Amino acid sequence: MLPQIEYFRPRSLDEALMLLAGRQNSKILAGGTDLLVELRKHNPDEFFTIIDITAIDSLRFIRDAGDKVLLGPLVTHKELSESELIRREFPFLSLSASTVGSPQIRARGTIGGNICNASPAADTVPVLVALDAIVTLESATGKRECLVEEFITKPYRTLISPGEILTKIYIGKLPPGAKSSFIKLGRRNALAISRMNVASVLLVEDGLIKFARLACGSVFPVTQRVNGVEEFLLGKEPSVELFRKAGELVAEEMVKVTGVRWSTPYKKPVIAALVRRALCECAGLEVK
Amino acid sequence: MDKVTIRFTLNGEDQELEVSSRITLLDLLREELNLTGTKRGCEIGECGACTVILNGEPVNSCLVLAPQVDGSEIWTIEGLSRLDEIHPIQKAFVEAGAVHCGFCTPGMVMSAKALLDKNPKPTEQDIKLAISGNLCRCTGYKQIIDAIKLASEWLSKT
Repeated sequence: MLPQIEYFRPRSLDEALMLLAGRQNSKILAGGTDLLVELRKHNPDEFFTIIDITAIDSLRFIRDAGDKVLLGPLVTHKELSESELIRREFPFLSLSASTVGSPQIRARGTIGGNICNASPAADTVPVLVALDAIVTLESATGKRECLVEEFITKPYRTLISPGEILTKIYIGKLPPGAKSSFIKLGRRNALAISRMNVASVLLVEDGLIKFARLACGSVFPVTQRVNGVEEFLLGKEPSVELFRKAGELVAEEMVKVTGVRWSTPYKKPVIAALVRRALCECAGLEVK
Repeated sequence: MDKVTIRFTLNGEDQELEVSSRITLLDLLREELNLTGTKRGCEIGECGACTVILNGEPVNSCLVLAPQVDGSEIWTIEGLSRLDEIHPIQKAFVEAGAVHCGFCTPGMVMSAKALLDKNPKPTEQDIKLAISGNLCRCTGYKQIIDAIKLASEWLSKT
């Protein structure tokens, strides 16, 4: 049974922010695919204010803004995976959205919710981190921006304040010719939660790597770019051997940060292989 | 406690109801409207037994808060048959032996309907993707996939 709920369905962002400003224990409802599951875990006597933002049409857009792409938080995973603009500019974002949950979950779950829920296994987050995506947070008293990488501070924890709504995500376009990839390892194919995932971008010019981005999910305490390995790749000639080394570096970094755990003997070789495959795919090398 | 008035179309008919704000669409269908064809399974969006079609998309009705459906169009398994005639998708499930215990069947049929409405001639891969959010513990899925192929053939002839 669900806890006690006071329900609001504002039609405008201003109305939503006003509602949010004056209330304790409020939750923002978008796709509901995480929130409903979470609410069921609470005691039926508990009380929540639910602010359903799904009727605010101004939060639902995918827009080309020249050197960047703007996304509204209410864009669903289905819309993201089917958008021509996203497929063209960020094919790995479209791919990652298409691996979230099931058709039923993708039809409801939103990009804003995937970021704010901050699950370490969120599928779109490594891609957004690799892209240096920025979120806009608005409250009744102001507006601020921050990188997705900094916004998520711990599993299921973000920098969002109780009075704020994530209102926009913007993503700078990649340099022309850059190739991207997303690899998700789940326990099965259908309806799988990521065990680990890797998002990568490479630009190879004149036989050398000119631009590299690498972000891993469920590998470090939060999804993050692996800057040391990105730098290691720059200026080098792409090869399976180079990417094997890059994979090993990521695995070593993981053990350095998280320490040796029960899962390390499994995760260490596996993350090395996932990184190698992701980078090989970006560089058009045969994936081994 | 809190009550909300909502208007929506359900299986082609207009509805205006006062609902509690702490129930899901699944609760609304089963407990208030006695439409028990939609099944209550895992209640965390993993089994697909509660699948209904909301504004043309298959959704887990256990993850939709009832007041959220204000202004929307919903189809449940009860809306498929007409008088004594069951829907061709339902007929195909019977014909292909795709119904064993039956618990997953309404959700499977609704996922199949959502697929065939948009893609009348799906490939086997399209079918597998479309039912990837519906669990069946009896059939091993083969007969269900066969049923959806058969339904696709029948529907494209009419």
